[in-house]
Amino acid sequence: MIRVEPSDPDYPSRLRDLTHPPDPLWIDGDETALVARSVAIVGTRRMTGYGERVAREIAGWCAAAKVVVVSGFAQGIDSAAHRGALDGGGRTIAVLGEGITLFLATVRGRRPLVPRIRAGGALVSQYPPSFCAQPWAFAKRNTTIAALAEAVVVIEAGEGSGALITAGEARRLGRPVFAVPGPLGSVASAGTNALIASGEARALVSAAALLHGLGLRGPAAVASPADPILDALSGGDLDADALRRRLGVTEVELADQLMRLTLAAQVTQTLDGRYRRR
Amino acid sequence: MVTVEADVANGLPSFTVVGMPDAAVSEARERVRAAIRNSGFEFPLRRVVVNLAPAERRKEGTGFDLAIALGVLRATGQLTRDPEALCLAELALDGTLRPVRGVMARVRRAAVAGVSTAFVAQANAAEGAALGAETYGFTSLRDVVEHVEGRVRQAPSPPPPPATRPPHAVDLADIAGHETPKRALEVAAAGGHSLLFVGPPGTGKTLLARAIASLLPAFDPDEAIVASAVHSVAGLIDPERPLLGARPFRAPHHTASHLALVGGGSPPRPGEVSLAHGGALFLDELAEFSPSVLDTLREPLEEGAVTLSRAGTTATYPARFTLVAAMNPCPCGHAGDPAEQCTCLPDAVDRYHARLSGPLLDRIDLRVHVPRIAYEELREDGRESSRTVRERVIAARDRMSARLAGTGRTCNAELSVAEVRRHCRLAREAETLAAEAMRGRRLSARGFHRVLRVARTIADLGASDEIRTSDLAFALMLRAQA
Repeated sequence: MIRVEPSDPDYPSRLRDLTHPPDPLWIDGDETALVARSVAIVGTRRMTGYGERVAREIAGWCAAAKVVVVSGFAQGIDSAAHRGALDGGGRTIAVLGEGITLFLATVRGRRPLVPRIRAGGALVSQYPPSFCAQPWAFAKRNTTIAALAEAVVVIEAGEGSGALITAGEARRLGRPVFAVPGPLGSVASAGTNALIASGEARALVSAAALLHGLGLRGPAAVASPADPILDALSGGDLDADALRRRLGVTEVELADQLMRLTLAAQVTQTLDGRYRRR
Repeated sequence: MVTVEADVANGLPSFTVVGMPDAAVSEARERVRAAIRNSGFEFPLRRVVVNLAPAERRKEGTGFDLAIALGVLRATGQLTRDPEALCLAELALDGTLRPVRGVMARVRRAAVAGVSTAFVAQANAAEGAALGAETYGFTSLRDVVEHVEGRVRQAPSPPPPPATRPPHAVDLADIAGHETPKRALEVAAAGGHSLLFVGPPGTGKTLLARAIASLLPAFDPDEAIVASAVHSVAGLIDPERPLLGARPFRAPHHTASHLALVGGGSPPRPGEVSLAHGGALFLDELAEFSPSVLDTLREPLEEGAVTLSRAGTTATYPARFTLVAAMNPCPCGHAGDPAEQCTCLPDAVDRYHARLSGPLLDRIDLRVHVPRIAYEELREDGRESSRTVRERVIAARDRMSARLAGTGRTCNAELSVAEVRRHCRLAREAETLAAEAMRGRRLSARGFHRVLRVARTIADLGASDEIRTSDLAFALMLRAQA
């Protein structure tokens, strides 16, 4: 773990845009990731299946374009973004709201991601290594995420979600802000839809718009699947009966098609036995 | 089998029972003394020693009273012939015979040891008679003596009326929608595969699980005796109709301890897994059970029996049951529920599922989501009744037992690995799917064998000798990957 101050030449220059840049900053991993091209992907901890898929896909596009994904390593969207970037062969930076040493000692469910993140990217914190998590610390961490990235994507955020702090700070710094439109009435998409409605964020409907803003090329649009099962699953997880009713196929046909998609790793089953598009 | 010997010798009046009696057996002295006097006999004012052989085994319970009393009467010459029968009853102080628990299991054991006559209390007579043993039910010690002496012979108890299948509480036709869960229930009932329903509260998981009782085929006589004997040990049978009419359906509450679930205590009593032998064990709110209690299920699920060892005694109870379990998808219960938003954090959901250990989940063959159903489905007609489905289950079971004839096992869930290889032949196209599934889903060899057993059952339900691609695909679909 290294410690850098704003006066150091190694200090991530984009952080100097903040009125009060983190001083000092602790970095555990590869510090070159902090000066590479980067996009922040943030969102609610209470994500839906839709949010998880979109977070993974967008992080995957960034990874393919060699853009580092910055996020907060919280449960939900943050973790899905880190995982998507790593699965796509990319690098990712986790900005923590607590001390790095303390975090490593206490993290449970997301522990398997830690060595993968450190391999090409880094864990970053503006708090001393054994600093215990405080509610206000996460709000300050969110502004650091906004400054560290060149653009911010909010996938799903409820009213008052911390991801909205990141979006607000990014706007103040003049960084482009994107929000992924969600279904009306979904609590998890209330904040992102409001961002789009008020004009504070651009609706993100393709990777090209995001990457074009960084001067990079990406796929033109989110691929719309031709397969009716994948299409039916794009709105969220469904169980076998719901799929069968929607597609009007027999049990045998459905089992056969689902098996084909599962083996092609396009569909997985959730812990409660429903189907999820990957 | 315990032999009771009595000796009456000169000396200071005393009455001793030796041969590792427990408290209940030691107390028999007082009951026997009073019962003998109050039946019009004389209790010897001499030195009485009763020995329970073999002496190294611990003796428990009150069933020795009758044998001890007859022993004392025989030793004092008030009874002139040996009873030559299994004597099993508790004595009241006035000489009346009282019923005891576990008569069926003991009469069975005695018959194996060559004693096919049993003297029991009137209320226990049907239990012995149900086994085909020559069982006499007596009301008092006096009656037993008169019978043995040949003065007033009693007729052996007639076999009890055959058990009738009680009407089941839930019929499949009562349940709207839920086509896949119903199919899974049919597969579980036919092949004895374990099944887990996951879904939001109020969607009918419990109702579905209870419907399995209506799908199970009737007991064949041998199975009924084994299962009834376990219930007899637990003291849970109807004295008039000791044979179970329907396969048991046991639903212990989630606060059950491991003693309640797998059995225990001293003397070891059968637990819920053994009481469910031959039928179904339903664990509602599976994730609310204590993890250590759930882990004790692994042995019975694998072995089909439970061996309980306690100081001085070991008991093995059968425990072949179909496990049906239900749980919510997350702590708040609303994950994936279109009607209500889930308020759980992802880590909390993971922790909730982690309460079920991997080894236990690995032994659950079918995992099915039970969704909230739409109003249109509630009104849908043309639902299959339990009777129709049960006929398919019975036909499939017939195919299975023909295949397993002579092994003592009856359904596909019990196929050994060698038998899986022999009987679960895949059609040519199904081979390809199987190979891909093993690769793509990283199935373990054990997991793959479990899928094959389920596929075998699905093929049996479709009356097919070969496992077709569709059977295998459906089996893979029902076994949600963890």
